Amino acid sequence: MKLRICHLYPDVLNLYGDRGNILCMRKRLEDRGIACEIMPLRIGETADLTRYDLFFIGGGQDFEQEVLLEDLRKGKKEELKAAVEDGRTFLCICGGYQMMGHYYETADGMRCPFLGAIDFHTVGARRRMIGNYAFSLSETSGGSTVVGFENHSGRTMLGPGVEPLGTVLRGYGNNGEDGTEGVRYHNVFGTYSHGPVLPKNPAFCDRILETALQRRYGEASLAPLAVPFEKAAHEAALAQVKLRRKPRRGRSSAWL
Amino acid sequence: MRRKEQKTGPYRQTPTSLRDLTAVTVCKAVRAGLRLLGRGGTALPGKAALFLSPKVLETVSDGMEIFVVTGTNGKTTTAGILAQALAESGRDVLINSSGANLLSGITAEFACDTDLHGRPRRRWAVVECDEGALRQAVPLLHPRVILVTNLFRDQLDRYGEVMQTLDRIRAGIPAADSGDRCTVCLNADDSLVSSLAESPAASSTGPVLQGKRFRIRRFGLGPLTAQDRISENADAQYCIRCGARYEYRYHTFAHLGGFFCPECGYKRVRPETEVTEVLAADADSVTVRMRTADAEQAAGNTKRQEVRIGLPALYNVYNAAGAVCAWQAAGLPAEEILQTLPLAEGSFGRMERFDVSGRQVRMILAKNPAGCDQALSYLEGYAEPYRLALGLNDRTADGHDISWIWDADFEKIASDPGITECLVTGDRAEDMCLRMVYAGMPAGKIRMVKEEKELLEQIERGGEQRERREPGEAGAPEEPVLILVNYTVMLQLRETLRRRSGKRAFWENSERQEEGTGGQVCASRSGKGGTE
Repeated sequence: MKLRICHLYPDVLNLYGDRGNILCMRKRLEDRGIACEIMPLRIGETADLTRYDLFFIGGGQDFEQEVLLEDLRKGKKEELKAAVEDGRTFLCICGGYQMMGHYYETADGMRCPFLGAIDFHTVGARRRMIGNYAFSLSETSGGSTVVGFENHSGRTMLGPGVEPLGTVLRGYGNNGEDGTEGVRYHNVFGTYSHGPVLPKNPAFCDRILETALQRRYGEASLAPLAVPFEKAAHEAALAQVKLRRKPRRGRSSAWL
Repeated sequence: MRRKEQKTGPYRQTPTSLRDLTAVTVCKAVRAGLRLLGRGGTALPGKAALFLSPKVLETVSDGMEIFVVTGTNGKTTTAGILAQALAESGRDVLINSSGANLLSGITAEFACDTDLHGRPRRRWAVVECDEGALRQAVPLLHPRVILVTNLFRDQLDRYGEVMQTLDRIRAGIPAADSGDRCTVCLNADDSLVSSLAESPAASSTGPVLQGKRFRIRRFGLGPLTAQDRISENADAQYCIRCGARYEYRYHTFAHLGGFFCPECGYKRVRPETEVTEVLAADADSVTVRMRTADAEQAAGNTKRQEVRIGLPALYNVYNAAGAVCAWQAAGLPAEEILQTLPLAEGSFGRMERFDVSGRQVRMILAKNPAGCDQALSYLEGYAEPYRLALGLNDRTADGHDISWIWDADFEKIASDPGITECLVTGDRAEDMCLRMVYAGMPAGKIRMVKEEKELLEQIERGGEQRERREPGEAGAPEEPVLILVNYTVMLQLRETLRRRSGKRAFWENSERQEEGTGGQVCASRSGKGGTE
């Protein structure tokens, strides 16, 4: 068996250790004897996207996202939308997640059009939503608990009937109001969780891999792997999150 | 080469206003109180002073010649090199401790160094300034030189992204006196930092230096060795002017090097201070050939000389070049600082050495991916077997976001057989262990030690089976321990190691140093050297 992963824009969407997710997917496939091909697709490059089973899109800086949007408009936009409708698996983090929606509206009303692959949009807020957080995945995405780190000023509003990825246990999630986190649409997993999210949440990683393998091979059952370090890191992060009612906000004073 | 400063303080003749004097006195009293309690307090005394008189820093630094050092990495080391050179050349110098690089901390350091009338006691000062505090501190300090070391992603939850940090610096510099009074020293190899010298029309992020004209000097490294292609994680791959992808004639590390934009022509400018060749490098020092141009002379009149820098690793070559650049920008003769570079010592957890019960311990601060990658390159080149200790906290001063450990290239060292054991500590030790497993470190070598007491025992004794160890095995008596930690782990662990090895606390170093202790002067955080 073999899975082909396309890493979109690794040259710009490369903040917050998100490449750890690629390392994690590869390791968990290879540990089970499943081959894994990873193809980075940078700005200005083109490829036949129908070759790939799984697409990964990370988060980036605002300045660099402008460069990226221009590249999307040059044709990738339609190809990616087709891949979503075709049931290919996507893992989209933070900026990459926002990009799947209709648009991003800045705090002063400027609208930045995005892919529009899924019915949701994001509105910029003054206060950044930052901190360790936890959410439980919905049943369609496996039902396990996920711990991660969120850092976004955009508040995401899902369209009517659009299913979130999970329910916030502690932290802000999509917008800090409705208790939803991320999006699940066809085989697209969208989340605000950095961390990186997958290494500490191996059950979530396996769920994503199974989804992609399912589509490619019609069936997928991944053998369990021993995860002592993963479990320790997951539990330590969860214990820390639970101590908090609200995520800590960044303060810049250094008291000695 | 030590010489007496002709003029001794105070350097301001006008009287201090009652309000400022009150602020200064309260500041001193609060600090004395904290010291009695055994605390190194740097922020609270300054906050008290600022509450009473928001602009007191201007009064207590009036008449001084000040270097301001800012940027993501290398601030503390560069400031240390400058302070050492000032002290060694017989000049009175005040330096703020690295924990005190916000307005409150800087204010406290200056206020507490005044005489009874609130007038500064020293002529020179080197101020390490947080990028965000630049805008508040610079208009009060009236610096002679502002040095910007580099810009990398750092503590993203706190500082925001790299471009925001750049904008903060861009806003901070114009607060200085323009014209001949202030010179801005920029890293020529860093496309982000270099853009600070761009003309307003060319900028994508607003007016540069707000129309004020500054003298600009640059420092950088020439094409030294063949390097790999720019890493996928570099913080600036696209032109800040036009958005095209940079090309590089050569790289030094991260996004630093001989960049140029094929579209708009924005490119590295040849710096006045340039390291043209690395002649030798080992675990303790680097010897380079450096080209310097004297400030008052024409650019054509340059000198190349061989310089030994008493600190290892390429990033310290940048720090040394930056310090030389700033030194000349202040109109001081290059020879003075070049003579003191061999004496440079790792200060305050930056490549700092300790002798703990006969065991060599070196502490390396690594708090963001660029700095960490450089530290890892240093470890990669380490020839002897060693034990590695990693420490990761996620407290406020560290940034709560620890995801950057996945952007740092631990793969470089993880499968190195020279590492006999990997101790892991800190609030987020579990995350660090997981990172090391992913990097390829054999699980059997990884050992989580959350308690500091136990960690110290491990460092000192080298494991339970010490007696049976052969040389080259984990914990053999001669085996050094290299400690890679982020900020608050460093603060805590350094204090413990300091006590064990008999070094002084950083605030005790402001006491007058013995004459003729050479390099010791600068190891002090408030190096007052030479003068009576």
